[in-house]
Amino acid sequence: MPPLAAGMPPWRRAARSASEAIERLDTNVTKEKNSVLHLGIDLGTSRSSVSASNGERHVVESYIGWPVDMVARKLVKKPVMFGREALENRPMLDLHRPLERGLIKEGSEKDELAVRELIRHLISLTRPHDGQRVLAVVGVPAEALRVSRQHLRNAVKGVADSLMIVSEPFAVAYGMDALLHTMIIDIGAGTTDFCVMKGRYPTEEDQRTLLYAGDSVDEQLATMIRTRVPEAQFSIHMVRAWKEKSSFVGEPNGTVEVTVPVGGKPTNIDITTEMKRACESLLPPIVEIMVDLVSRVDPDYQETVRHNVILAGGGSQIPRLAKALEAALANVGGGRVTPVEDPIFAGANGSLAIALDAPESDWEKLPG
Amino acid sequence: MGLPSPRTRRFDRVKQEMVRDAVAENLATIAGLVPRAGRRTVRNSWLGWALLAAVAIFLVGTLKPTSAGRGTPQQQETANFTLAARPDQASPNPGTLPALEAPRAIDPALFRLAVRRVVVDPGHGGSDPGAMMRGMREKEITLDIARRLATLLRAGGFEVVMTREGDETLTLHQRVKAANAAKGDVFLSIHVNSIPEPTRRGVETYVLGPTSDPQIERLAGAENSVSGYSLSDFRRLLEGVYVDVRHDESRQFAQAVQRRMFAALRRVNPELDDRSVKKAPFVVLVGTEMPGVLTEVSCISNEEDARLLRLSEYRQDIAEALAGGVRAYAAARGRDATVAQGGPERK
Repeated sequence: MPPLAAGMPPWRRAARSASEAIERLDTNVTKEKNSVLHLGIDLGTSRSSVSASNGERHVVESYIGWPVDMVARKLVKKPVMFGREALENRPMLDLHRPLERGLIKEGSEKDELAVRELIRHLISLTRPHDGQRVLAVVGVPAEALRVSRQHLRNAVKGVADSLMIVSEPFAVAYGMDALLHTMIIDIGAGTTDFCVMKGRYPTEEDQRTLLYAGDSVDEQLATMIRTRVPEAQFSIHMVRAWKEKSSFVGEPNGTVEVTVPVGGKPTNIDITTEMKRACESLLPPIVEIMVDLVSRVDPDYQETVRHNVILAGGGSQIPRLAKALEAALANVGGGRVTPVEDPIFAGANGSLAIALDAPESDWEKLPG
Repeated sequence: MGLPSPRTRRFDRVKQEMVRDAVAENLATIAGLVPRAGRRTVRNSWLGWALLAAVAIFLVGTLKPTSAGRGTPQQQETANFTLAARPDQASPNPGTLPALEAPRAIDPALFRLAVRRVVVDPGHGGSDPGAMMRGMREKEITLDIARRLATLLRAGGFEVVMTREGDETLTLHQRVKAANAAKGDVFLSIHVNSIPEPTRRGVETYVLGPTSDPQIERLAGAENSVSGYSLSDFRRLLEGVYVDVRHDESRQFAQAVQRRMFAALRRVNPELDDRSVKKAPFVVLVGTEMPGVLTEVSCISNEEDARLLRLSEYRQDIAEALAGGVRAYAAARGRDATVAQGGPERK
């Protein structure tokens, strides 16, 4: 493999990184004869994904539900349900979304259990062999790591043979080799995490967390629709699905119409304006923090950072969001904002890259 | 494949260092150390050790064995412990010492302080009725529960100081002043919740901290409305508030109260929600100089909760649950230390 081209933006090394990961993977398979399974897990507020060194990749919505009583248990025929299945059976379940607002809710043992079960479930999806050592790197929202680091560590105790917790934006940056003069903006459901990579492990001063993210857009959208059509009946889960299907900023491609019961009668409602306003409500706080973080970078590198802004997380999929952020950067000298190509697995792949790169001697120090 | 270029080697080295730092951060968390995030790691630096020693000396000189900012430590409390620097920290040798890791977090349990005096704060009062619904007023419910709680705690050997004994108007500033003057060991403010969605119900306990939840902001705004503080007072209070061991203590206290309250009330109110321990910037928690929590014992906006709140048995259940929370926290907190005179019941 030729050496990296000088001047190539670090994030463009993503493709290179992927092939390197495959090489490492092959080496692993040969050398260790499947005795070790490396995992990268992206534990998100809305969705969680896992990438494994055996090639398995899975994503589940971060919902965990336990049957509320014996009758429910008989109906659902499972002691615990995850993801979409849990969401669809929610009337019969004690449903938990454990990382609400990017944190484990304190004082709630059920939410701690939910985090543990969710990671166990993700690990089981990768089908480790009997006796295979599972070494996992779990990426979590930066805020969770900052505020409830110890709490989080206790919650995930014992789920793998060795386990490392890192912040999600760092995992994304690492996976894309975007380690120098780059800004990661990870728009999740509970939080939007910012991280400026300066060629070192990011410190507190390199990171910011905004508690305004996908869930806030959902709430805004629901409030605006409810204000305009007070009789409309819908749940926040429906609003989330509408957003995931039809979100946008800037000019719409067409009308966004949804069908909801109004007074019990299915009725079509045009929510184009509400969708635009709700999605665009993300822009001012993100722009403010983005510009502020750029202004704190050494002046020699500010322009480079402005041209290496990477959008990750579910929010990065909002059409034309990157262009809108570029328009905002134009006011401070211009820049380039690029959404990651694989937003679902960017975090998990990054965590997997860390897992594969961590030497065995380090894994031995880390308990599960 | 040719030899990697110096640029590639440098890049790989950066990655190795990052992974090493990530591992070190995890190990620090496992060891209960303050994670290094927020500061650049200073490796093998005599200056770093000197700074650490200076901080340790400063802490020994200024930390009081009681809640932060309480004035001169009480002799009885200071006599029971001495903060001696560990030999390896007292005389660092820059040539042989390992890399400087983050300083160890102060474990408040080291101080072995007892919980003797509980400040009970019935929310609202006088011209400030609090939430009003279905013919009930929050100020009356909180006072009733506070009185029951005081009786239970006194029977258990605690000293209790009430911020108000009757239907009096008190600003939050006056409540804070009363609590600090009483030199309480813990502060418990009792409130009744009112939520815009009438179907929602449950118990929740707050500790001081920032929030971005608009509902909690609204609640804090409502509870802070009669603060009696000036803006400059408030700024001064905020400046000192986040650097305090009191925070961890408040959280533990809140968890003890929340667990007891939810477990006890769920028995009589099976539909109750555990709305958990949350953070919010309540003025009354900013100014008090002891571990403090604000608890919302039920939702007056919910029809079933309101019906139960009318029942004296339910209010007694709430008081007993709160007392259980205080006892649990005191028992965990005091460990081997003598707790209250006569000793409160340990569970």
